[in-house]
Amino acid sequence: MLEPLIQNNVVCHALEAMIFASIACSILGVIISRMNLSSIGFTMSHAAFAGAAIGMFLERNAQVAAVVFSMAVAALIGPVSDKAKMAADATLGVLFAMSMAVAIFLISYMEYMGKGLSASALLFGDVISLYREEIYALAAVCCLTIVFVLAFYKEVSAIMFNMKIAEAAGVRVKLVYYMLLFIVALSVALSLNIVGGLLIFVLLVTPASIANQFCFNLKSMFIAAPLVALSVSAIGVWAGFEFTLPIVPLVALLLTGVFALSVMLSFKRRISKKRY
Amino acid sequence: MSVIDLLGIYTAYEGGDKPVIKDLSLSVDRGEYVVIGGPNSAGKTTLLESINGLVKITHGSATVCGLDVARFADTVRTRVGYVIQNFYFDPFTPFTVEQVVMMGRFGRLGLMNRPARADYDAVQRAIALVGIEDLAHKSIGTLSGGQQQKAMIAHNIAKEPEVMMLDEPFSNLDFHAREYLQGVLKELVRTGIPILMVAHAFDGLPDIRIRLVVMNGGKITYDRDCTAGEVDGIIRKECKVNGKC
Repeated sequence: MLEPLIQNNVVCHALEAMIFASIACSILGVIISRMNLSSIGFTMSHAAFAGAAIGMFLERNAQVAAVVFSMAVAALIGPVSDKAKMAADATLGVLFAMSMAVAIFLISYMEYMGKGLSASALLFGDVISLYREEIYALAAVCCLTIVFVLAFYKEVSAIMFNMKIAEAAGVRVKLVYYMLLFIVALSVALSLNIVGGLLIFVLLVTPASIANQFCFNLKSMFIAAPLVALSVSAIGVWAGFEFTLPIVPLVALLLTGVFALSVMLSFKRRISKKRY
Repeated sequence: MSVIDLLGIYTAYEGGDKPVIKDLSLSVDRGEYVVIGGPNSAGKTTLLESINGLVKITHGSATVCGLDVARFADTVRTRVGYVIQNFYFDPFTPFTVEQVVMMGRFGRLGLMNRPARADYDAVQRAIALVGIEDLAHKSIGTLSGGQQQKAMIAHNIAKEPEVMMLDEPFSNLDFHAREYLQGVLKELVRTGIPILMVAHAFDGLPDIRIRLVVMNGGKITYDRDCTAGEVDGIIRKECKVNGKC
């Protein structure tokens, strides 16, 4: 998509992937951070990790298996929380442990059987060796995220405000919440190859936290978070290639730096010194 | 036909060894002002949440606005206003009072439909009725507890409900605000909307016919009409008779 502007294919693909992953994850990040569901990032990333391990174990496409397993875990979060009367965060913890156990079990077993499995790409990501199809899939999930937020903006804003009040108002809370979980699962599973399971958290939480320091309303947060993520990712990709640095950790560090700066400069925290 | 018709309902929470509400029957007609009192854990909040389907009814039947609550809980909730008991909005909540009041109409708007002119007008009317015009554009998280409570009452009035239920709605309000909002509720009753209000403090009740329902141990122990001045005394007496106060 950016080929006419960037001659180098590797740089071009890395930039495109980071842009799509940044936009999708940061928009979803605004929702999940407000709902105190930030741990969904590592649960989903480890579910995708376990799915990839299952795919490799069954000698099937690891990416497809990662998406399928993440969706299965996403489908469990809501009903398990409801049935067990647990906070979604506790359910996420249980599913995170289960996913990690499945992944470690299969990786160890495959090593024992003499079938090596390199987990480093899934854990740390590899933004410079991507297939076109992976970028198209990310672009699609990025569009899906934007369409979801635009189409269900009022329902999403109501459940972000207060789930019980939204439910009492007659909003179809469960339906929208389950759809949200599915989209998060899809985004995380598809971003896993790029940013890795360990750093996906940065794209989900940090841009939303930066936007929260300055934005007074939800609409501006939905605009500011992806803009911040996109700008920092683009700078990270450029600096990574220019100075031969690992791109994703660089983006993570840059975003954390911007967050620290935003906390210091946030006018939302300013205390009025007026005496009248 | 009554707006609310509960017939022998039982409600239990998962893990609880006893039902919270036991064999309770209650009919509420249009224009009734029902005050629900009783000791803690009498089942007052559970009763309200059984009426709008937030809590599952295990036995018996509940019909609200002509709809079976067990089958049409989502639709019932779009037609029943419910001011919940406890809420806290942190200072970083990214919603203004006006936006929160508009959320009251989201259920009746249906999935994916955008608010129209009529919805914005209903929101403005609700804000004006509750007297919080000056707070409309302020972030709800920056308001005091009492102001947030007023905003939540406006949120439910904007819904244009057929029944209004309030769970200790005046706990954070000063006497003047209580009197003012009781006047607002009196106006709703005058238009035919039945009010069901759970309360522990009864000062400032409006000077209209009040139906007092006293609950104890998940059952109704008293259900008669009275005047505003009699409410407190009757509840004290009923609690004493039933050994709880």
